[in-house]
Amino acid sequence: MNELVRKLIDRLPLEFRVLYRQFLLRVIDLEALSIEANVPGFLGQFAGVLIMLSLVHSTVAYIGYVYIPMLERMAFLFHMQHYLIATTMLVVGLATVISWDSTFPDRRDVMVLSPLPLTPRLILTAKITASCAVLGLAILTLNVASGVMLPLILGAQSGPALGAFQTLPAWWFTIVAASAFLYGSVLTVQGLTALVLPRRIFLRLSAFLQLAAFGLFLGVYFVQPSITTPAAWDRPQSQWILASSPSYWFWAMFNQMNGTLPAELSWVAQRAWIGLGFAVSGAGLSLLLCYLRTMKKTVEEPDLVPGAGGLHWMPRLGGSLQDATAQFSIRCLTRSRQHRVAFAFYLAFVFGLAFSVVRGEMAAPGPIPISLDFMLPTFLMMFFAVVGLRNVFSLPISLTANWVLRTTQIRPPEKYVAATRGTLILFAVAPVWLLTACLSLRLRPVVEVANHLAVLALVGCIVAETCLIGFYKVPFTCSYLPGKANVQLFFWGSAIVLVALVIPCVEFEQRALRDANKFGFMVCILVGCALALHAYNDHRGKSAVIHFEEIPDEVITTLKLSG
Amino acid sequence: MLEIQHLYRSYRGIPAIQDVSFKVAAGEVVGFLGPNGAGKSTTVKIITGMLRPNDGRVLFEGCDIEEDMVSFRAQLGYVPEEAHLYTYMSGLEYLQLVGRLRGLDEALIEAKATRLLKLLSLESWQHSPISTYSKGMRQRVLIAAALLHDPKLLIFDEPLSGLDVVSGRLFKDLLQLLAAEGKAVIYISHVLEVVEQVCSRVIVIAKGRVLADAHPEELTRLMSLPNLESVFAQLVKQQDTRSIAQEMVEVMQIGNA
Repeated sequence: MNELVRKLIDRLPLEFRVLYRQFLLRVIDLEALSIEANVPGFLGQFAGVLIMLSLVHSTVAYIGYVYIPMLERMAFLFHMQHYLIATTMLVVGLATVISWDSTFPDRRDVMVLSPLPLTPRLILTAKITASCAVLGLAILTLNVASGVMLPLILGAQSGPALGAFQTLPAWWFTIVAASAFLYGSVLTVQGLTALVLPRRIFLRLSAFLQLAAFGLFLGVYFVQPSITTPAAWDRPQSQWILASSPSYWFWAMFNQMNGTLPAELSWVAQRAWIGLGFAVSGAGLSLLLCYLRTMKKTVEEPDLVPGAGGLHWMPRLGGSLQDATAQFSIRCLTRSRQHRVAFAFYLAFVFGLAFSVVRGEMAAPGPIPISLDFMLPTFLMMFFAVVGLRNVFSLPISLTANWVLRTTQIRPPEKYVAATRGTLILFAVAPVWLLTACLSLRLRPVVEVANHLAVLALVGCIVAETCLIGFYKVPFTCSYLPGKANVQLFFWGSAIVLVALVIPCVEFEQRALRDANKFGFMVCILVGCALALHAYNDHRGKSAVIHFEEIPDEVITTLKLSG
Repeated sequence: MLEIQHLYRSYRGIPAIQDVSFKVAAGEVVGFLGPNGAGKSTTVKIITGMLRPNDGRVLFEGCDIEEDMVSFRAQLGYVPEEAHLYTYMSGLEYLQLVGRLRGLDEALIEAKATRLLKLLSLESWQHSPISTYSKGMRQRVLIAAALLHDPKLLIFDEPLSGLDVVSGRLFKDLLQLLAAEGKAVIYISHVLEVVEQVCSRVIVIAKGRVLADAHPEELTRLMSLPNLESVFAQLVKQQDTRSIAQEMVEVMQIGNA
């Protein structure tokens, strides 16, 4: 088998294979990785998370099928189908956002590849193949178990006449079609915008479009209600959701192919077919026009254009090192595509939780009492924002430019720790706290709300201090060594700890809000923890060395021939 | 002002520099020359505190820099060989970052950065991202960043790389004025005509060892050679470039019918 695959690959032109590999690796910023980084291992970590999710999905589907009573089973299976289609579309959407701009040639591609004897068609094919390979890997790993289990269950449910022989291909066709729809739509928007707008304006707008797409995918996924029961889809207010939500279109498409779609929803399936047609032809047209016109526009773009003055206000934290660190961080976050997307991933959780709170408040007619439904999401929002920002700090922006930080290190290390602390509080703790304060305007009694906000601020400081333990780096400067952080272990470990600890703690807080003694005790404990962690970080910072590499310099400057 | 004493540094047992010693006095421009791989970059990295020597020490105003690196760095201005900058920042933002990292007052940073950018003909581009700058423009940003805090010691590693003729002339004049202001300057370059013009002393290093340390005129007189280029070629035992070039052409033609 391996021999056959190798022979098939060898039949492809060498130039295509070289370009394909180059474009594939570009999804990850290789310059951000430590010299000992293992790229396949890095991709494997993410594939592992998706496979784990797939296993969880298939287990849930099987348990539901076995234990849910017959009458409710079909509704459960409809819900499961929609959930899996929506989740696949979300993952494809996120992959599209992460590899934003990678399908269209950028200035570097044009300047480097144009002088070489390569046809635009070859570059185009290699680019599309590389993008499809990344998306294909994401789709396959996310559906590796659930994409077999659910069709088997549905096949058994539908009876021996249909069976899995019909359900399995219908399922996989739907998954691929839904992914192609999303990918095609993004390409269409990007391609047409690049064509219509001047290059410089397009580049600026593209960054906003990327974030907007990110927010849209996550917002729709978290906010849209479940309408997979006959009672739900018959409601008048559900009609616009069915008409406008692509995940429901493709859910209907699958059921149409499977022969289980209620007749009154055939118009929803029709939308999926029309949408798919538009997205695929739009993407094809965009790519064609791009390679005919946009590449030419890129070459004709002037090399040097004076920049506009504009508004250049930046937040000030007091000290010059604190200002430098905070401003350096905010510029990294706003101007680097990868850092922006990485932070947006965590912010998506924050806004998803905020949306859930808003939805609950909107449903109530007047002021509502503060409850667990409000308190729990606010702590989770704080956790995701602070831990997310701390994780994004670990991704360097330009390792080669770090020499300037080394040669200007004229302050003791604890000052750098303090500057990083200030940045974490300014860009993670403070915004989440303000957002929570805005969300709590309709909550009563006011004193309890104010007390909760005080507790949240303290918890934010504790999470920030915890994140600083062992972090003796300037944000965005140290090389990244995949595997060292044990992403999977950290991800699942944090999830378990959060579930185990946060709920009882929030229940205690709810009781404490109504009891002055308990509240005083709780605040004393939190202040004590925050101060202890602060003192610990300051003390350790005094003897720390600010490092810019995950591995010692010696390894970088040698070829390790003896090892 | 700066004294390098018996520096030794190896990478996994392979020595990069051995017993490198020299002095740079205030008001002196010292040329630091050597072929590729001679050990110049290793020496400069040790002087700037980015690398630690295995042996030997660097004294600045009589004190070992290892004992008070912070004070030493506050007096150091450095222009590296490659113009590695945070390219998503504008030229002005980069200078602001460097100024703040060096603890300068905000008003001072603003005044100095704006004027330096104007003097280096970067005023129109000060708000453009560095990623759009040409090599020469990036080099000018580096020079401005090195001068921002009025350092006592300046190290310029190939500063003329990418600069146009006017900027090159400006830089040569700048070097002489910096020396006149009492700054100690280490100037690394492969353009020997410029070194001959601006340096009061030349140090030649090859295979990690200092081969010569004298005034350019003294070197040419002692070795009875017409110019510094000939002296350099003689000292580092430069290969027969003509025959190497001939061989390269032959290699290029391998496989031709």
